[in-house]
Amino acid sequence: MGLRGACRLSVVFLHHPLQATRPSLPQYKDSFQAAGLSTSQLVRTDSEEQQDQSTTPKDSRIASAQRDSLVPLSPEFPQTHINSKTHENALIPKDDIARMPRSVQAVYLKPLKRKALYGCPSCDLQLRSYNVRNVEFFADFALRAAYYLHLPALGPIPLPRITERWTVPRSNFVNKKSQENFERITLRRLIQIHDGHPETVEIWLAFLRKHTYYGVGMKANVWKHESLGVGKTMDVSLENLKKNSEQKWAHFGRRKNLAISERVYDMMNEESFRRISDAPLGS
Amino acid sequence: MAQFRAKKLDLSCFVNARVIRDHTKRKVFEQYETQRQALRYIIRNTTLPPRARAQAQLQLSQMHAYTRSTQINNRCIEGGKSRGVFRHFRMARYPFRMNALEGNIPGVKKASW
Repeated sequence: MGLRGACRLSVVFLHHPLQATRPSLPQYKDSFQAAGLSTSQLVRTDSEEQQDQSTTPKDSRIASAQRDSLVPLSPEFPQTHINSKTHENALIPKDDIARMPRSVQAVYLKPLKRKALYGCPSCDLQLRSYNVRNVEFFADFALRAAYYLHLPALGPIPLPRITERWTVPRSNFVNKKSQENFERITLRRLIQIHDGHPETVEIWLAFLRKHTYYGVGMKANVWKHESLGVGKTMDVSLENLKKNSEQKWAHFGRRKNLAISERVYDMMNEESFRRISDAPLGS
Repeated sequence: MAQFRAKKLDLSCFVNARVIRDHTKRKVFEQYETQRQALRYIIRNTTLPPRARAQAQLQLSQMHAYTRSTQINNRCIEGGKSRGVFRHFRMARYPFRMNALEGNIPGVKKASW
């Protein structure tokens, strides 16, 4: 599944109805077909194309979809309501058969991507996991979220795997010659956002933080443009950051500390120190 | 040690006399770290009067052994062993192996290449 290197714009809505559709994610193919959706249903007719210019899915057909005939989205959802209309499906023209909303159809296909105008990186999101499915799924999710937030995203770029290995003796006592190898492989994916508005990027990251997937670690570097005189604002923001991160940093040993310099000052001002500090040595 | 040891046990992992001792050392180090660092600074600052530096040196040498960071040793949480302990897993070699084979350590599996 990996998309390597540059972003590819995959289009759902095609002009020519006979053109092949984009390949879907293999794990969804079965449910997609079982849902009774043919590939032709993905194709928009010319009349629809002319109707709306935007890329967001048009919901004009939702009214028909919410009619009595229920098309199951996946084999797990049983068809609870069967009425006379379902029998007439064969006679109804293809365009009138109830279909899922475009945004739902898009879930079964590769994530769409926005095109960056300037290609200036705004955010680097690195996802790490010990297993492939997790990281791929969440990278996919992140890309979809970026699309709906109008953020041009590149990815998921697979970074080199990190392999840690340990060799330990099998026994708990002696027998060093028989050992066993263990390893831990960390898989990584990189999603880069170009030309993103800083607030939108923040919203995107907050959204991902809210819907974190199990087994996936995230790290994001965010860049933004600042005006002149940024030093003052940076000092203020640093103060705020310090308050939030002080609890975590307290567990780490830090060499240069305000507390230490204060202590030095107190020590030097103690009676014992001040009294003898000027006295010569060896007396 | 008796002066620093906690009256009530405040550990939840494998408990051993040596483990308790190590835990006490860590607490004492944390308590006196600032003072220790301050003394070290005074000793190393060449612009300060030599007498003050000598006094600081003396004071540092007189501090209790438990205040030193070098006394602290990472012990295995399974058996309390101090040798062959992996820092990442906080376990010695054999318990690491047993837990890895059980599947208790996320991401670790038998290597074969």
